Amino acid sequence: MNAKEQLDKVLDNIEKVMIGKREVAELSLAALLAGGHVLLEDVPGVGKTMMVRALAKSVSAKFKRIQFTPDLLPSDVLGVSIYNPRDMEFHFRPGPIMGNIVLADEINRTSPKTQSALLEGMEESSVTVDGETMAIPKPFFVMATQNPIEYEGTYPLPEAQLDRFLIKLKMGYPTREEEMEVLKRSGQSVSIESLASVISLEELLEIQELVKRVKVEETIRSYIVDLALHTREDPYVYLGVSPRGSIALMKAAQAYALLTGRDFVKPDDVQYLAKFVFRHRVILRPEARYDGITADEIIERILTKTRIPVKRLAGR
Amino acid sequence: MNSIRKHKGFMFLLYTLVFLLLVEWLAPIATLTATGYRSVFLIFIAGSLLMAFFRVPWWISGTAKAVYVLWALLFIFSENPLLSRESFGFLGTNIELSLAALFSQQWTEVTDLFRTGLFFALLWMAVYLLHYWISFRLSIFVFYLFTVVFVAVLDTFSPYSGDAAIIRIMVIGLMLAGLLHLARWLENHRIPIQQEAVVGWLLPLFLMVGTSAAAALLLPKADAIWPDPVPYFTSYAEGGSMAPGKPPVGKIGYDQDDSQLGGSFIGDDTVVFRAEAGSGQYWKIESKDIYTSKGWELSDIAAEPLLYGDQEEIVFDIEPGNEEEETAFIAMGDERFPFVLYPYGTKSFSMEEPAEYRYNPADQRIGTYRAGSTFEPYMYEISYSEPSYSLKALRATSLEDLSMDALPEGYDRYLQLPETLPQRVRDLAIGITADEESLYEKAQAIERYFASGEFTYSQTNVPVPGEGQDYVDQFLFETKIGYCDNFSTSMVVMLRSIGIPARWVKGFAEGEEIGSVDDRELFEVTNNNAHSWVEAYMPGVGWVMFEPTIGFSGSANIDFDLDLDTEEDSEEAAADRPDKPDQNEPADRDEEEGGIGFGERFSRFLEQFQGMLLLGTAVFAAGMAMLYLLRRKWLPRVLIPYYRLRRGDESFERAYLHLLRQLGRYGIERKEGETLSSYAKYIDHFFGTRDMTKLTAAYEQAVYGGIPNSEEWRNLRESWENLISRTSG
Repeated sequence: MNAKEQLDKVLDNIEKVMIGKREVAELSLAALLAGGHVLLEDVPGVGKTMMVRALAKSVSAKFKRIQFTPDLLPSDVLGVSIYNPRDMEFHFRPGPIMGNIVLADEINRTSPKTQSALLEGMEESSVTVDGETMAIPKPFFVMATQNPIEYEGTYPLPEAQLDRFLIKLKMGYPTREEEMEVLKRSGQSVSIESLASVISLEELLEIQELVKRVKVEETIRSYIVDLALHTREDPYVYLGVSPRGSIALMKAAQAYALLTGRDFVKPDDVQYLAKFVFRHRVILRPEARYDGITADEIIERILTKTRIPVKRLAGR
Repeated sequence: MNSIRKHKGFMFLLYTLVFLLLVEWLAPIATLTATGYRSVFLIFIAGSLLMAFFRVPWWISGTAKAVYVLWALLFIFSENPLLSRESFGFLGTNIELSLAALFSQQWTEVTDLFRTGLFFALLWMAVYLLHYWISFRLSIFVFYLFTVVFVAVLDTFSPYSGDAAIIRIMVIGLMLAGLLHLARWLENHRIPIQQEAVVGWLLPLFLMVGTSAAAALLLPKADAIWPDPVPYFTSYAEGGSMAPGKPPVGKIGYDQDDSQLGGSFIGDDTVVFRAEAGSGQYWKIESKDIYTSKGWELSDIAAEPLLYGDQEEIVFDIEPGNEEEETAFIAMGDERFPFVLYPYGTKSFSMEEPAEYRYNPADQRIGTYRAGSTFEPYMYEISYSEPSYSLKALRATSLEDLSMDALPEGYDRYLQLPETLPQRVRDLAIGITADEESLYEKAQAIERYFASGEFTYSQTNVPVPGEGQDYVDQFLFETKIGYCDNFSTSMVVMLRSIGIPARWVKGFAEGEEIGSVDDRELFEVTNNNAHSWVEAYMPGVGWVMFEPTIGFSGSANIDFDLDLDTEEDSEEAAADRPDKPDQNEPADRDEEEGGIGFGERFSRFLEQFQGMLLLGTAVFAAGMAMLYLLRRKWLPRVLIPYYRLRRGDESFERAYLHLLRQLGRYGIERKEGETLSSYAKYIDHFFGTRDMTKLTAAYEQAVYGGIPNSEEWRNLRESWENLISRTSG
């Protein structure tokens, strides 16, 4: 059984409980495979939790969930050392971050202090509590959700923190038909608990290794760099995509290529993913907002004007 | 599928047009090779095309054609009926003889019958080829092009005149091309045809071709920008003095046909002859008497030629002078004429082998004969004594002397003028000569008139008179630019219009003095020296030559026997003495002595044809640019066979990139940010194929995946060829 078949099974499994969100599932899975994290921005009630749980279940991963509130402390995320009077020692009680797949719900509701505790863990794949560093078990995948930032009582994530997410997704409401189907299934449907796991964690780790070996041809790399450069040159953009963003796009494209059954990246992969990888990495000037231009639109425009290099054969 | 090829009427039209095109091929062949029995060949072509049209099985049509060929051969070459012992014997002998001749390479020994048979075979193949082009390829352009080139070349280089043929060919060809384009278009787009629609499609085509042809015929046409290139090519090819050749057909040089004067010409310094003479002479060949308003012709009078032998004194209508006799010696170049050239005052001719000289009083030409048939003499000696005219006698001439009974018999033809001659020519002549008393002075006045500064000597930019236009009138009043023919003809016409008998004389001017032999001067006379001048009849004196062409100084020898009444007269007369030419014709000036090396010839060629060369280069560059711009049309035809021979992965990648560029040229270019796959989808949607997606997947696999799979190219090639050939349409 090759990677593509395994991954298709995972997606099919998620689809049993999630209706009509194959694309989001695919992208999330791609982020998982690339070793990145996902920022999911959407209103409550569209099935974010359901999807992450289904994903965790399918890959036999340990699922953890943190509901962020304004009064949540970093220790509530990372874990805390508690004095045990019996052996007269401090024992570390790992927080919810110590899982394979972590759903960080409404991350922008909590204080920046707590936010950064999570984000640091995401970046380092380890946590430091009381001077002691502990590795987070692999695979480690955080899916953070946030309400659209215009909402009341939120602490918007700073740019540097946003950069830590591989992709940013929007779930979106289901279509009318899909919602009808949701209602129909809600009564008798397969519950999330009964969902069987499809692949083991070991298999998942193997696939993650495969992703790193997906071939990225030189012209593709130059295309990615061109795209990143163009975001930095756009007049509406205050801060363009960082080199970390270019790396992210390449990694995501590798994972996505494997997901679609290829062992090499095509420009189409890059084009498809650019929006998801770049949209939270460009900071727009105020003029953009006045003109009603969104980051997605700018990326779209860059994509249409950046020439996709066709390999020249002269040197061969 | 309801293909256009199945449409009988349409296809019949095509075959008819092809037949007409073939007829245009046959016409010049029949004319030039004096092949009779044209209808026999036409029937063969028509029959073959008909059988091809009705798709008669090959064994029936083949037999029918073979039988017809046999019959035709027997019909043309013998009286024998088709199926008889004699006829088979006849054919057998012919073929035997011809094959033997062929094997021994005695090409001329091949019998006419055999040649005709081969010609039939050629026609057979031609018909087959055309049938193939029409029915399968739906394309005729190559054949059409060859037809035009063929007729144009024959028209230029042979006596065949393709004036009407080229118009017919254009019309036929445009129709054929249009119809076939329509057919191809319908096929490519798989458009089913309906009976009524065919007429609807054809009508605009016929209207277009009809109107454009009619407009082209009716509209006025500019003269050719380039003069007839043939004389130049022949003279250049012949070089200094190598190959023997016939007199070139062209504007410059001696040419018998003067019925259509005018038009520019290019210089030609081919040496016609060298003459040793005491002084420069005008070398007369003949004169002409009928002016047709376009040119000159000879009247059809039954003048008995007078025969003379070697050294026998010839009686001309111009008497030789009384001075001591001189001899001139002429050695011809590569061009030979069946007549002799002679100076004024000629008495007799002689050459190494005795010959016969036939003097024709009608045009004063002296044909040379030996043993009853004409021949072209190479060297001959002329004894002559320059005639001299008494000025007194000339001044005594008056119009009264020219009353009809005083005029020698038959001289009224030298007063002929076309009825269409515009009155203003006459008025001009009368105006110029009104103040003069004697006929001689009147003639001189006309001769002088051309030197008044109003007229320009030029060999180029000289028009041919249009329809209804008089050659002389055009020159005198409109263009005022021309060469000897314009000046001399105008003078003759003006002389005649005031009643002085005059004739138009042709020959060569004195040429260039290139040295001396003994005590005689040696002149080299080239085609550039071909000349025409005037002889006027002075009653009581005889024929006197005049030179109206500016830049030429030949004139009659005048004996100043007058009591000097005015100074002016003598001065004027002195200036008239035959002298060295003040000025030779322009092309003559750079003439050099002796042989000319290749380098010299080449640089002269460059100099003379700088414009043409530039134009040629420009045309070539334009041609290359056209080729480049039209590469979309022809490139696939080159690429397909090229890549058929290629193997390996790299060639696929190259082929794919070629396809991308070709698609771009076709007009569906990949957009800036468009990936190959989405572009491929668009292309496939556009053409209704799946080939591009297939090719692109393989290309991406090879390039991005780095997985070369050379075996696949064989499977992909069909898709690639399919796409790239679509783009050339």
